[in-house]
Amino acid sequence: MSRVFRLAAMLLGIAPMAMAGNEARPAANDWATAVVRIEFSRTLYDLYQPWARRTGRTLKTGLVVAERQVLTTAQDVSDHTLVRLQKGGRGEWTLGKLLWVDYRVNLALVTTAEESFWRGLRPAVWLDGAPPGEAALQIVRWREGKLESRRAEFTQFTVHPSQTSGLNHAQLEVDSEIQGAGSGEPVVVGSRVVGLVSFQGGRGCRVIPASFIRQMLTAHGADNSRSPGYFHFYWAPAENVASLAQLGLPGSPRGVLVTKVPARLDGQPNVLRRRDVLLQVDGFAVDIQGDYRDPDFGPLMLEHLAVRGKWAGDEVRLRIWREGREQTVSYRLPRYDFAHDLVPWGPYDQPPQYLIMGGLVFQPLTRAYLQQWGAEWEQRAPFRLRYFVGEEATPEQPAVVVMSQVLPDPYNIGYQDLRYLVLREANGRPVHTLGQLQEALRQPQGGFHVLEFLANDSFRRIVLAAAGADQQATARVLERYGIPQEAVLTGGAAAQ
Amino acid sequence: MPAGPLVTLPWPETKGFAGQLQTARRMHWYGSVLDGYSARSSFGEMHRCSNVCLWAYARRLVGFCKTLVTVGLVGWAVTSAGAAQPERSVVQIVVFRQEPDWTLPWRFDAVRPANGSGFVIKGRRLMTNAHVVSWARQILVRRFQDPRPYLARVEFAGHDCDLAVLTVEEERFFDGLEPLEFGELPQVRSTVVTYGYPAGGEEISYTRGVVSRIELSAYTHPGNRQALSVQTDAAINPGNSGGPVIQDDRVVGVAFQGIPGLENTGFFIPCPVIQHFLRDIADGRYDGTPQMGIQLAPLQNPAYRARLRLPDNDLGVRVDYIRPHSPATNLLQREDVILQIGDYPVGSDNKILFAGNRVSGKLAIQLVQCGEPVSLRVWRDGRELSVAVPVRWFDEDRAGGNQYDVRPRYYVFGGLVFTPLSRDYLRSAFQGAARGESRDGDAELTYELFFRPQEDPGSVRKEPIVLSNVLADSVNANWSLRSRALVDRVNGMRIECLEDVIRAFETNTNAFDLVEFGRSQMFECLDHAAAVQAQARILKNYNIPRDRQL
Repeated sequence: MSRVFRLAAMLLGIAPMAMAGNEARPAANDWATAVVRIEFSRTLYDLYQPWARRTGRTLKTGLVVAERQVLTTAQDVSDHTLVRLQKGGRGEWTLGKLLWVDYRVNLALVTTAEESFWRGLRPAVWLDGAPPGEAALQIVRWREGKLESRRAEFTQFTVHPSQTSGLNHAQLEVDSEIQGAGSGEPVVVGSRVVGLVSFQGGRGCRVIPASFIRQMLTAHGADNSRSPGYFHFYWAPAENVASLAQLGLPGSPRGVLVTKVPARLDGQPNVLRRRDVLLQVDGFAVDIQGDYRDPDFGPLMLEHLAVRGKWAGDEVRLRIWREGREQTVSYRLPRYDFAHDLVPWGPYDQPPQYLIMGGLVFQPLTRAYLQQWGAEWEQRAPFRLRYFVGEEATPEQPAVVVMSQVLPDPYNIGYQDLRYLVLREANGRPVHTLGQLQEALRQPQGGFHVLEFLANDSFRRIVLAAAGADQQATARVLERYGIPQEAVLTGGAAAQ
Repeated sequence: MPAGPLVTLPWPETKGFAGQLQTARRMHWYGSVLDGYSARSSFGEMHRCSNVCLWAYARRLVGFCKTLVTVGLVGWAVTSAGAAQPERSVVQIVVFRQEPDWTLPWRFDAVRPANGSGFVIKGRRLMTNAHVVSWARQILVRRFQDPRPYLARVEFAGHDCDLAVLTVEEERFFDGLEPLEFGELPQVRSTVVTYGYPAGGEEISYTRGVVSRIELSAYTHPGNRQALSVQTDAAINPGNSGGPVIQDDRVVGVAFQGIPGLENTGFFIPCPVIQHFLRDIADGRYDGTPQMGIQLAPLQNPAYRARLRLPDNDLGVRVDYIRPHSPATNLLQREDVILQIGDYPVGSDNKILFAGNRVSGKLAIQLVQCGEPVSLRVWRDGRELSVAVPVRWFDEDRAGGNQYDVRPRYYVFGGLVFTPLSRDYLRSAFQGAARGESRDGDAELTYELFFRPQEDPGSVRKEPIVLSNVLADSVNANWSLRSRALVDRVNGMRIECLEDVIRAFETNTNAFDLVEFGRSQMFECLDHAAAVQAQARILKNYNIPRDRQL
């Protein structure tokens, strides 16, 4: 009997410990078993000389989220050449690899085949719902070999675009004394993870919340066919009661005004119209500032309803006021696609596209191109180029090609000062992509290339010789300027 | 005789001679006198003379020196008298100016004093810069060393060329004042003297420099114009503006601007521009500096020249663009090559040779008066032809440049302030914008004013209108848009000008006014009856004298 009692006592003693292993961590320094460092070696590009490359290295924080899976943010992951992981904040680095990266939602998952790396590491546990109001948040990371934990105070929930795309979703804002965060550091409360820090400006940090992350992890863990959707229409707050009255909406002011409904590129019909009043989204009432009451996050901008448990192609019921009566329309969420923007984000994980003809350098207009003007590119980049940002791509104009510079050669004499001109036509054919330009250059007009640009103060049209002179000049330019290829087109394929 | 600085003439010392001539005015003819006497060789000869000849030579020497001194004194007197003349005809101008607030366009900023210079010209008038007297509420002029201020007024102002002509109400102002004569375009490397009343003192000031460069450059005052200007290293400082630049006793220019941060760099408006202005106002009206309405592009690429079948002679520029409704519309074609404008062959770099200087071909057009034709030698389809194109002032460019001496147009209804989009408005609005404020609306306004006319002239509104401000009142308290928004439609009417806005509101019979805005396609509404009722209250509360200025 005494032996039984001793065994029972042992079991009773072990069981709580076993159960504790399934519970969250009691102490902050236990985050050492879930937080790791990730190093991405990357190829970096000079968008002003898109053929030039250099190397760079980024250190990020990773969070063990499942067996053999470490999660981080997708910023500074693109064009990586090497991934290494380190646990414990010091010591040996282990080679890893990227499992997937999703720039639309700013998340990336890495792993390593090295068994020894996973020993002693345990997945973190996500917080369900929003952190309690007075909860003491901490931002955790490895720094100089020690696990740093900095206090953070919850500020608010907001809806913001992702740092790597224009996809809007709910985010937390916290205030912290931590410096240099924004590389995927986990924000924790007690033993749970609230989210990952994606951005820091001053003391303010923006955090991708756990619920959103879990939803995205689920999508990537499944058949990976699900993509985030978004609301493609524009709306304005309906704070002006006169506007609602003018539309005949009775009762207390509510809803938002639909102001602009671009054509859909996915072939779906537009079910909304300008001057509709959007009253509800999937049963959530929308107030005049465009907020709905989220069960987890409280008042939140309606954009989040496009991703809250939803995917591209899913149906969203919109309750609207139109032509004097309430009605419900079924809105099918379009898939968030970088190509829907006239000036797309990125591009990611591909070398910059360009095409050189006779010293004239053509590049697609992208955010990465504009960002070569630095953090303040929205003020410093050429006005006409940045004015394209925010416009939707259309079938008539799916993209923009810029003649960014002219590498001087006798072939292009007279044009060497031209730069940042928007190309409209080449040899009588409209040009919106480098592929179209390449095709057009194969068909010169009477032995000449005729290029037309968007109106500007210098040249709207230039003419250059064809009939072999262009190819000779191109070869000469490549040689003189040390350029390996005359063109890099979509997907990184070299010119044929 | 030209005035000049004091110089020390080197003179070889000789045994028994008094010594060097310490000071003398350097005069052009003084050197020739010296050369004629061959002073050095004379003294050399003196050294070798015997004592018997010494007295004879000494007498000759004394006679020579007397002549020299006499000539020098006479020259001094003459140049002293000549140096005083330009000064006496240079005036100090004191202006009290008041500029409008373009975002609240019934208001004016505080009155501010400013100083400039001017000079007397024929016809008992004064010439100065337009920017000296723009927005003037009062103009006072002071004569050289005369304490009395005289009231003046602007007779003509050419804001596009930054010149103005003033009259003085008191006739006796001009008593004893000689008008300064105009000269020609000075040569580079030649010397000029500026006269004026710049900052740093109260009396007249002179600075001397050389002509460094002559070309077309941007005139700051209009903001969107280039014209002929002369760069000099003579100091031109605030207060010099409007003062004469003199060479050989003639006015060769009017000092007008500098470049902050650049040393020894001042600019003056040369006589070709001045003469154009004076000829223009001779009929009692200033028409302005004309344009042809075409954009020319250099034609230096061999392939392009070959395609146009042009000879390889570095002549000709290509018509790259013809503005709609310009005088050239039915006379020139895109791809025409302009070989000569008036008397001036045009180089492939779009420059002409003007008085020995290579300057932009635009000058050849600017020298013509509005309405007059400019003869062009044109290359088209492989052959030459002559075309005469009349030139005119382009009022369409007015809003894109700085405007002066016209009250901003506006209309206020329901607390909504509407005003035409202009460069002046953008400048005022951007200066007043809070840091971090959204600039999307600003970008749209910038595009509308400066880019749409070039890119899509068919869609340009005659006078784009901006919602400049929303003066808070209960009738508009809930408006989200508060300022810097381009108006697209009011009550369904597309807005082409301010009068459209007025008409749209005044003819509305619906319960609400609907205002729709540009790129964002946002819209806002007003309770029409409430807005009408609030009108008097708003005008009173905000001290607006009237609801419109047209």
